[in-house]
Amino acid sequence: MSLGAGTEATMVADADERAPGPAPREGKSPTQIALERLRKDKVAIACLFVIGFFVLVAILAPVLVSIAGVDDQLHLDQVNPLTGLASFQSNADHPFGVKARTGEDLFYQWAYGARPSLVVGIAASALTMVVGVTMGLLAGFLGGVVDTVVSWIVDFLLSLPFLLMAIGIVPIALQRFGNPDSSGFIEEGRESTIRFIVLICVLVLFTWPTVARLIRGEVLSLREREFVQAARSLGMPTKRVVMRELLPNLTGPMIVNLTILIPAFIATEAGLSFLGVGLKDPTYSWGQTISQGVTFFDSYPIWMWIPTISVSLLVLALSLFGDAVSDAFNPQTRR
Amino acid sequence: MSTASTETSETVVHPRRDNTREPLLEVTDLVKHYPVKEYTGLFPTTNQVRAVDGVSFDVAPGETLGLVGESGCGKTTTGRLVTRLIDPTSGSIKFDGKEIGQAKERQLRSMRRDMQLIFQDPYQSLNPRQTVNTIIGTPLEVHNLVPKNKRKDRVQELLELVGLNPEHVNRYPNEFSGGQRQRIGIARALAVEPRLIVADEPVSALDVSIQAQVMNLLEKLRKELNLAFVFVAHDLGVVRHFCDRVAVMYLGKIVEIGDRSDIYEAPQHPYTQALLSAAPDLNVVRGAERKERIRLEGDVPSPINPPSGCRFRTRCWKAQDVCAQEEPLLEIKSGARQGHQIACHFPEIKDDLATSLENTSA
Ligand SMILES: Nc1ncnc2c1ncn2[C@@H]1O[C@H](COP(=O)(O)OP(=O)(O)O)[C@@H](O)[C@H]1O
Ligand code: SF4
Ligand SMILES: [Mg+2]
Repeated sequence: MSLGAGTEATMVADADERAPGPAPREGKSPTQIALERLRKDKVAIACLFVIGFFVLVAILAPVLVSIAGVDDQLHLDQVNPLTGLASFQSNADHPFGVKARTGEDLFYQWAYGARPSLVVGIAASALTMVVGVTMGLLAGFLGGVVDTVVSWIVDFLLSLPFLLMAIGIVPIALQRFGNPDSSGFIEEGRESTIRFIVLICVLVLFTWPTVARLIRGEVLSLREREFVQAARSLGMPTKRVVMRELLPNLTGPMIVNLTILIPAFIATEAGLSFLGVGLKDPTYSWGQTISQGVTFFDSYPIWMWIPTISVSLLVLALSLFGDAVSDAFNPQTRR
Repeated sequence: MSTASTETSETVVHPRRDNTREPLLEVTDLVKHYPVKEYTGLFPTTNQVRAVDGVSFDVAPGETLGLVGESGCGKTTTGRLVTRLIDPTSGSIKFDGKEIGQAKERQLRSMRRDMQLIFQDPYQSLNPRQTVNTIIGTPLEVHNLVPKNKRKDRVQELLELVGLNPEHVNRYPNEFSGGQRQRIGIARALAVEPRLIVADEPVSALDVSIQAQVMNLLEKLRKELNLAFVFVAHDLGVVRHFCDRVAVMYLGKIVEIGDRSDIYEAPQHPYTQALLSAAPDLNVVRGAERKERIRLEGDVPSPINPPSGCRFRTRCWKAQDVCAQEEPLLEIKSGARQGHQIACHFPEIKDDLATSLENTSA
């Protein structure tokens, strides 16, 4: 490794290194590169269309139901009083059929049912990210007692069985906040609000630890990176090191996590509603429709099929999109 | 040999220490122990990793000290202690006459401007989410050196100073090669106009041809800006033409320290001799007869349980009983010039190693 060796080699390499780079376009951040890769991914674009479709359904639900001319009233005349079922699966008045016995329109419930899925998915995952990232950053960067306490809470929460806890917490919360009368009856609107909030809280409570653990690990490796040391050697305040040097480097894992959480939460919401601990009338949800329709699956399949296919398609599209996002943000597969 | 040594002395800024020398940085008995838990056996036991175990040296303004030793000898730890990125277990660090060894971050603020780091890995040392403008502009902002509207001009000036195209200010690190990134790291360190730079193996992650360029750049900057350097390297080859003084480290301790000519032409410690002998010999590649070479057997022992007495004794070919019992002190030995200290019970000048290296690099 003698330095004097070969000045001519030095000149050549020098010229080579100073030569203008092959790419004339400049100033592309890692995020911009990731988005560019995502734009070229056909599967991701297809998924985006599917996701966009359901988002539109949720947003435009009132418009859609008025176009279809359906409402949320009982239509006893639509069902056969003996079997309780409608004589049709789908017709012009009720494109997705009607419920047994009551004759409530299923298109109406499907269109409005898209809302809680998306709202729960997005709200719960946003909250999960905020809590998880904050705790992960604190534990990872501050270390010491904070790290010990946060890690202990994380381990504790992750050791609890989610499904049992969810099934247990809902009735307890209803008792506690629902002001039931002597017979245990809770006002319908109040119950569905409580259920909605509790559902989101349960999802956040049991998922933030996973996010916190992941972010903590990232922070532990990031804070030893030399650019963080460089910032510290300038005397940069800790808060600024975290906000300016660490946080921007967590956008990758954060976005990837978000795209994984949203479909998981939508599926969980449907599952919990199916089990009766999720949402209930008058909040329509696909999980609840599926659980009601499952009884009539043989004679009246459209009741169950439409929400089942919808939720599967949405979750699938979101998951594939999440995969594409994590590929796009993964430096190992970049370029 | 004689021509080679005149060429050598040309680059020496401070060839000899005398009593009027005022150190900029003075490190005395610096110690850093890391506690580590070990989980063998029934109960976890806490051991101390003796990463740096009583190191003393000083650097005068504009002077360059090379810190050389194999991987794991505590060079990086020493560099980070000196720049106070980590707290020393004990010992004193004086910068510009002020004790900073135990100072709190707030008291360190003025020192942060005077001392900067250049890092080993150019792929880790730049924030991938920031443009060059932000990376080099941040020091200007943190220390309020340049008014906001002039900041970009100053960044471009700095880019030019380190040999990069000033038009590339808005690029991200991923658009540069390793050597270019290292230049950006150098520009960032220079932004605060420091007086001392701790360079932690700044070229060892680069291609050999690029290494020479970056070394030439550092050489140029050091002369133009009268910078003092603590230059960390894992072999004696890189620092040869750069350093006024060289300290050889082994397992957390300095085993030999002296002016460049002392270390390269009259090394006395067996470890220094082994390091010199390990430098690649171009004459052998060209077909010359191979000189006697000292080969080091084995690895550096664990700093958790360093050998008693002389820490080098497990790999030393001259080791005697006394080496295991008594720790050799770092002191001037017979035949050594002033300022040339050796920690060995059986020092002995071996100059043919230096000669062979002289020929290879000519
Ligand atoms: N944070 C730490 N915790 C425990 N041991 C450490 C830590 N940092 C460094 N060490 C140990 O200290 C010794 C010296 O490390 P280092 O200063 O990086 O050596 P060098 O830079 O010479 O290769 C090594 O044995 C290393 O494992
Ligand atoms: S003191 Fe003994 S073991 Fe240590 S370097 Fe000298 S001769 Fe070798
Ligand atoms: Mg090192």
